Amino acid sequence: MEHLVPIGLNHYLTISAFLLGFGLFAVMTRKNAIVVLMGVELILNAANINFIAFSKYNGGMGGIMFSLFVIVIAAAEAAIALAIVINIFKIFKSVDVSSIDSMKE
Amino acid sequence: MHSLIQLSIVVLLLPLLSFVILIFFNRRLPRRGDFVGVGILGTAFALSAYIFWTVIVQTYDPAFRVAWDFTWIDLGQVPGIGPLQIKMGIVIDNLTAIMLAMVTLISLLVHLYSTGYMAGDKNYGRYFAFLGIFTFSMLGIVLSDNLFSIYIFWELVGLSSYLLIGFFFEKDSAADAQKKAFLANRVGDIGMWLGILILYSQFHTFSFTEIYANLAAGKFALSNAWLTAAGLLLFMGCVGKSAQFPLHIWLPDAMEGPTPVSALIHAATMVAAGVYFVARIFVVLTPDALHVIAFIGAVTAFMAATIAITQNDIKRVLAYSTVSQLGYMVLGLGVGAYSAALFHLVTHAFFKACLFLGSGAIIHAMHHEQDMRWMGGLRKHMPWTFATFTLATLALAGLPLTSGFMSKDAILAGAIGFATAEGGGVYYLIPVLGFFSAMLTAFYMGRQIWLVFFGESRTHLKPVDNHHSDHHAHSTHDTHNDDHHAAHEVHEVSWNMRAPLVILAALSVFFVYSPNPLDGAQGWFMKMIQTPPTVVGSYQSAPSSEKLAVGSQQSATEGENSALSTQHSALSEQHSALTNERQAEIAHASHAAHFPAIYISSIMVLLGISLAGIVYVFKIIDPDKTAQAIRPLYLFSLNKWYWDEIYDATFIKGSIVISKMLSWFDTNIIDGIVNGVALTVKNIAFANNSFDKYVVDGLVNFTAFSVNTTGAVLRKLQTGKVQTYVVMLLAVVFGYFVFYFTRLIY
Repeated sequence: MEHLVPIGLNHYLTISAFLLGFGLFAVMTRKNAIVVLMGVELILNAANINFIAFSKYNGGMGGIMFSLFVIVIAAAEAAIALAIVINIFKIFKSVDVSSIDSMKE
Repeated sequence: MHSLIQLSIVVLLLPLLSFVILIFFNRRLPRRGDFVGVGILGTAFALSAYIFWTVIVQTYDPAFRVAWDFTWIDLGQVPGIGPLQIKMGIVIDNLTAIMLAMVTLISLLVHLYSTGYMAGDKNYGRYFAFLGIFTFSMLGIVLSDNLFSIYIFWELVGLSSYLLIGFFFEKDSAADAQKKAFLANRVGDIGMWLGILILYSQFHTFSFTEIYANLAAGKFALSNAWLTAAGLLLFMGCVGKSAQFPLHIWLPDAMEGPTPVSALIHAATMVAAGVYFVARIFVVLTPDALHVIAFIGAVTAFMAATIAITQNDIKRVLAYSTVSQLGYMVLGLGVGAYSAALFHLVTHAFFKACLFLGSGAIIHAMHHEQDMRWMGGLRKHMPWTFATFTLATLALAGLPLTSGFMSKDAILAGAIGFATAEGGGVYYLIPVLGFFSAMLTAFYMGRQIWLVFFGESRTHLKPVDNHHSDHHAHSTHDTHNDDHHAAHEVHEVSWNMRAPLVILAALSVFFVYSPNPLDGAQGWFMKMIQTPPTVVGSYQSAPSSEKLAVGSQQSATEGENSALSTQHSALSEQHSALTNERQAEIAHASHAAHFPAIYISSIMVLLGISLAGIVYVFKIIDPDKTAQAIRPLYLFSLNKWYWDEIYDATFIKGSIVISKMLSWFDTNIIDGIVNGVALTVKNIAFANNSFDKYVVDGLVNFTAFSVNTTGAVLRKLQTGKVQTYVVMLLAVVFGYFVFYFTRLIY
């Protein structure tokens, strides 16, 4: 097992970075508003992983507490965002974010 | 205020009242208000006669003088000048009293005469109004006690003379004559004003008495040449007003005015104002100035006399005769024969007014024929006019038993005395010219009398379409109702024109002035008017001039009441004690020359009259052939020594050339400068405009354009799509990280 590298901070941060990358990719490329929201959740969770990882290797409880807040805020954000998406759907009969551009110019 | 002063103020204002009433209301008054003018002048004359009686007959004091003045304008302390006060005042002395009576009497007679002569004129009322303002101005000159008010009235006289000369202003010749008179007078008046200013600059006063006192006290800071210049400049006023050479040209043309006006203005009063003024300033004239004055007078007397012998217009002969006689007066003042000159002024005023009014009667009777060549034989038709005209002619020619004889002889005696005292030489030219002029006077007056009154009527000889060079308004005179007269019927004028002639002729006889027909010096006039001693400093010894100054200043500074005759006689004793040697010498020589003057002038006058008799009565010499024989001289005289032509060629052409040059200067230089400035401004404005248009507007437009372009570019960024914004956000964050970490690394 000596040849195996013990899991360290960099591994967490790498996973977190990938997760952030997927989240951003979803937010930027997906057309469905629900999927975009899912991407946002991925970004938030990437942050959470960072918080937890830093908390573990730093020794404090701050990161853990922060991640709990983020989960709460993510829940609230999901509720509000889904409400917005429902209203968007009511108005535009679609949740395709690329077609919703009435704020243009 | 002395009662005489109060009276004289009334006399002064009465003619002004006449003017005001007549100029505004003449059309509403019966007879156009001529009775107002005559009545007011009658009152004025009555008051003047009372003043004359009080001053001359009752007081009979050569040094009589009352004065009164008040501050007219007080400007207080003027920086750089000092206290500036202009006073007005009235002075009555013997000369004033005589002039007052003379002016009002002649004015009254002219008013009366004009009621006949001007009857039927469409501007009849205005004519009397003008006579009123003229009389007012003339009385103002006579009564003034200072140079400033004399100058004001001087200009008023010029104005009223202008109005009266151009009374028939529909005629071009009258309008031209009035302009000529006014302009010639202006030339003189400018000089007079400069002279007044020279004296004012030294003494800060206009008052005669103060100027004389200051001058006697030696307060004239400039050199004697300046005093001579001041005297000559003041004399220029006289040259203009009294028609002396070289400004005499206006007086003959002024005959375009109505004939009574010629009598009043251009014989008796206005032209006498110049002589009166020189007499008033006599004491400040330096000997040099007096020499110039004497020569100008002599030249004027001679020149005008030579012109008069060839003129054919009855009034022009008299006009040149007037110029000649004024020359005598100025000559008299110049040689120091002060009282003789003023004596001649008064006697001449009466007999020349008589002659002018007589010629007016003739012109009136001849239906406005003025050319003597077409007259003749009027003696039978107009006995009154003939008698008075002849008497006045004798006085003018200077035959014994007339007033003119006494005054002219006194002047000529003075001239001889002057020449003797000055040591002869060129100064003898003055009495010689005087005597020669006396002969010419006798000749041309004899010629006039003969042509007008004797022989047969030559009316029929007149060419029908004769428009001669010296023609006079035969046609345009619509002032008289000619249809009342048969064409060539001549008869005596009415009483209101005859009476003035008789009165004036009576005043031309010797016993009015002196009991001795051969010696005017024994009469009241020459006793009352005595030569004032000069105050020119260099001719007095120092201590005596101090005494005089103290006395004069006392009298000048004291109030109105104190300026009474007693003090002035005391002052005049000082004066007479100071009479300088030169004056005494001349007076002595003049006295010695009295009888020679009488003999010579009587001989000259008789010569002149006999020459006229030889030529025109006995026809021994044919005037036309003589004229042909000496044609250049004849033409020289007939064309008035070519003065008009000379002035035309010099001053008038000169001023036209100068005006043309100035006009050229204006159009090319001044206008060029103005246009250049305008062009420059225009070009600057154009550049400015271009700058505005291309640079400022360009900047503004460029700003707008760039904002617009930027906006157009940036607008594309705002897609309204959430995902685009996210991409941008990421790009920025990414960019920031790149930037930040690059900095961190290096």
